Amino acid sequence: MLILTTFLTSCSGVKKLEIFKQEVEREKLNLEKPTPLELENLRWIIITSENADEVFKKLEDQGIDPVLWGLTDKDFELLAKNFAQIRNQLKITNDLLDKYKEYYELD
Amino acid sequence: MGFRLFFIGIFISALIGAGGYIFKLQKDNTILKANAIKMESAIADQKNLIENQQKDFKEILNANNKMNELVGLLKKDLEDLDKRFNKKNRDVGKLAIAKTESIERITNGASALATRCIEIASGSPLTEEEKNATKKSEINSECPSIANPNYVPY
Repeated sequence: MLILTTFLTSCSGVKKLEIFKQEVEREKLNLEKPTPLELENLRWIIITSENADEVFKKLEDQGIDPVLWGLTDKDFELLAKNFAQIRNQLKITNDLLDKYKEYYELD
Repeated sequence: MGFRLFFIGIFISALIGAGGYIFKLQKDNTILKANAIKMESAIADQKNLIENQQKDFKEILNANNKMNELVGLLKKDLEDLDKRFNKKNRDVGKLAIAKTESIERITNGASALATRCIEIASGSPLTEEEKNATKKSEINSECPSIANPNYVPY
């Protein structure tokens, strides 16, 4: 009877609740941002059929080789637009990098 | 005699059983109290988690909006550049033949501004002049959206 009573009182116990929680933070990448560019200004010279001789003479007078790399007005326009597109892409990529750093590394 | 012993045995067993049951109830009660505390703590953690998630969602939305805004502004800069070349059927080539020196000067000025735009896009900090520019004559006309944050087109 004693044994029976002991067994009956012990078989439906309340289970102890266990909560496991282990948070390990990932190491931060912390890469340095690339150094901003410092570009050199370049000089554009416009040559027409009328001023070509004068332009080359001026170059010679300044001790510069009388040779020029040429672009038509249309190609110059395209070059300007290409540079603007590269600049826009650079800005977007740079800002994107800032946003990622802000979101994941600033706490 | 045997009958009395039998009842005494039952009585003692019942007494021990009752004692054991009370002891078990006390133990269960302690565990339940501990469980309740843990549950409260888990609920608080979950609330905290939900709040953090909501904060993250807001940040993500905000970052997306800012990026879209930037893409729109840069697109406008590009359209403005196109307008400068082709405004009112302007032919830059013919203009350069007619006013060679003045177009050369304008081209070199714009080229210097465009060079500065690339520096800014690569992360170069804005100068005070660039930050404070509000008039057309003060801005970098090649990329006002990134060079002059206080300029409102008029």
